[in-house]
Amino acid sequence: MRSARAMERGASEGGFVLALVVFMLFAIAVASATGYLVVSSEFMLGRHSRDGAEALTVARAGLERFVSETMGVLPDTTTYALGNGVAVVTTRRVYEEDGQTHIYYVRSEGTVDDIFTPGTPARRVVGAYATHHWRPVEHHAAVMIGADALSVEGGGQAHGIDYSTALDCAEGGGPRIVGAIARLSVTGQSPSDIQGSPPTRTWAGGWSAISDSIGVRWDVISDPNFPVDFENTLPSFGALPADSFPVIRYTGWVNASFSGRGVLLVDGVFDPNSSFSWDGIVLARHIDDAAQGQIDGMLVAGLEEPNMYSSVGLSIDVKYHACNVYAASESLSYLELMPHTVHEVN
Amino acid sequence: MGGGGRGGFTLVETLIALVISSFLVVLVSHAFLVQNGFYSLQTLRVGVQDNTRAATELVAREVRNVPRDGVVVAGSRTLTIRSPIVVGTVCNRQGAAQVDVMTEGGEAAVPVDEVAGVALRNDSTWEYGIRSWPALDGNDNQSANNCAANGADTVGARDDFHRLVGMNALFPGAVVEGDVLMLFRETTFTIRTSQLDSTTLALFRADYGEAPVEFATGIDTTAHFEYRTSAGTYADTVLAADLSTVDVVRIVAESRKPPATGGADDVRFGWSVNVPLRNVRDEGP
Repeated sequence: MRSARAMERGASEGGFVLALVVFMLFAIAVASATGYLVVSSEFMLGRHSRDGAEALTVARAGLERFVSETMGVLPDTTTYALGNGVAVVTTRRVYEEDGQTHIYYVRSEGTVDDIFTPGTPARRVVGAYATHHWRPVEHHAAVMIGADALSVEGGGQAHGIDYSTALDCAEGGGPRIVGAIARLSVTGQSPSDIQGSPPTRTWAGGWSAISDSIGVRWDVISDPNFPVDFENTLPSFGALPADSFPVIRYTGWVNASFSGRGVLLVDGVFDPNSSFSWDGIVLARHIDDAAQGQIDGMLVAGLEEPNMYSSVGLSIDVKYHACNVYAASESLSYLELMPHTVHEVN
Repeated sequence: MGGGGRGGFTLVETLIALVISSFLVVLVSHAFLVQNGFYSLQTLRVGVQDNTRAATELVAREVRNVPRDGVVVAGSRTLTIRSPIVVGTVCNRQGAAQVDVMTEGGEAAVPVDEVAGVALRNDSTWEYGIRSWPALDGNDNQSANNCAANGADTVGARDDFHRLVGMNALFPGAVVEGDVLMLFRETTFTIRTSQLDSTTLALFRADYGEAPVEFATGIDTTAHFEYRTSAGTYADTVLAADLSTVDVVRIVAESRKPPATGGADDVRFGWSVNVPLRNVRDEGP
C-alpha cells in the first residue's frame, strides 16, 4: 500500500532531480573517459619511449658481446637474448686489407616486445666497423719462451725451417723463421738442434715483450669464462673435419701424453712427455723444465712472464709448420672494433 | 480524498521547491565549473609536459649520436652538432679523388638534402669536410664490382656500394682503402623568441645552410644547454678550444603556458635530460 502510494506520487509529480542526476552521471562519465584517454595515451607514449631506449641498449649490448666473444670463424648471423629483448647481429665483409686482416661491417638489431602491441616491437639498429684479425698469431719463431735462458738439449730441436709445402696449403714452403727465442740467451747442444733464419734471437725488453708480440689476447683466451671449443678434454679428432683445428684449453699442471691438432691453451704448467704429439700451436702460461714430445707448428710458453723456471731446458722437438700454424691461427681469429665507428642506423 | 482530487501545490510548497531546486542547480553548476577548471588545468599541464618532453627527446635523439669532435658550438642557448647520416668503409679507390664505399642501405638511405659534408676517421678523431651532396655523389654503378674485387661480400647487397668524389680536395692524399668515411649532418638548435608567440621563447632547429624552423613553442626563459667536459663539471658555455672535451650534453627545458581563464598563475613544467655522448669515447659502444 505504501509503495503504491509512492509510485503514484512519483509518477504524478514528475521532477527534475532524476534528470540532474543523469546529467551529472553523464558529465562524470565523459570526464572520466577523457581523463582515461589522456592518461592512457601518456602511458603509451612513455612505454614506447622506454621500449625504444631499451631496444637501443639491447642492440649496443649485442654488438659489444658479439665483438668480445666471437673467436674463430665469423658466423653470418648470431642471436642473443638480452634482458627483455633480442639482439640479432649480422656481419658483412667489406674489404680485405691483407692476408691477415679484413674489415667487417657489424650490424646489431635490437628488438623489445611489448605485450600490448606484440606485432610491432620496438626496434633499434646500430652498426660499426671492425677489423677481423683473421690469422692473428705472428710467426716469430718455432719456439718462444718467456724465460731468461733457453737451452735445447737431450735430443730436442727447434727448427724455424718450414716443414710444410705448397701441396699442404697455399702458404706452405714459406720462408724460414727464427728457430728459438728467449729473453737473454738461447743455446743448443749442437748447431743442428736450433735452425732458422736466424737460428736464435734474444728478445730484450720487459717481461711482457714476448706475450705482447705474438698477437693473441692471452688475457682473454685464458679467462675461464671465455668460451672455447673444448675445456679440459680432447675431442674425438676422427669425428671432426680434417681441416678443423679446434681450440682446447687445459688448466692446472698438464702432464700431456696425448696427440692432436689445433690450438692447445695451457693455463697452468705445460709438462709434455715423450708421447706428446701436436699439430698446430701450443700456448702455455708456464713450461716445465724437462718438456718432451713433438710439435709440428709453434710453441709459445711463459706467457705469464716470467716463466716459473727462469732457465729452461727443453727436450721437445718443435718443427715450424706454416700450414698448421696458419690453420690454428684462424681458430684464434677475433674482431676488434674500429674506434669511433659505432653509430645508430635508425 | 477531496484534497487529492483538486491536485496542484500550495504557494509555500512551490516556494520551498524553488529554493531547494535553486540550491541544487547552484551546487551542481559549481561542481561542474570546478571539475571543468580542473580538467582544463590538467589538459594544460599535460600539454606543457608533452611539449617539454617532446622537445628534449627530439634534441636528445640527435645529440646522442654525436661522434668525436662533433660538437661545433656549445653555447647556453645555441648548440651546433654534427651527427652521422651513414658511416661507410672505403673498399676501392679510383685515383686520388674518387672512392667506392659501402654503407648500409647505400645511396637510397641518404637523405641528400641533409648532407653537410663528409668526415674521414683517423685513429683518434674525425676530420670533417663541408661539402653538399651533389659535389660528393659519384653515381658509379661499378662500385660493387670494384669492391668485390677487393674482397667485399656484395651478394644481395650491391646497392649498398656507391661512389663518392671530391676526396682529394677535402683530404689531400689522405683517403686510402680501408678508411672509414662518414656522411654527416650539421644541426643547430637555438632557443630564442618565438615567431608564433612573441611573448614566449621557442626551440628552433636548422640543418646546415637552412633557415631555422620553430618546433617547440612556449619555452621559458630558464631553458638552456649545459655541457660536461672531461673535467667532470658542467658549464653553460664551452670555448672552441675545449669542445673536444665535451662528453655530456644536458638539455634544461622549462615550458610555460598561461591558463585559459585569467587570474591564475602560469602553468610551468621543468625537465632536464642528460645525454652522454657515448660515441666520443675511445672504447666504442
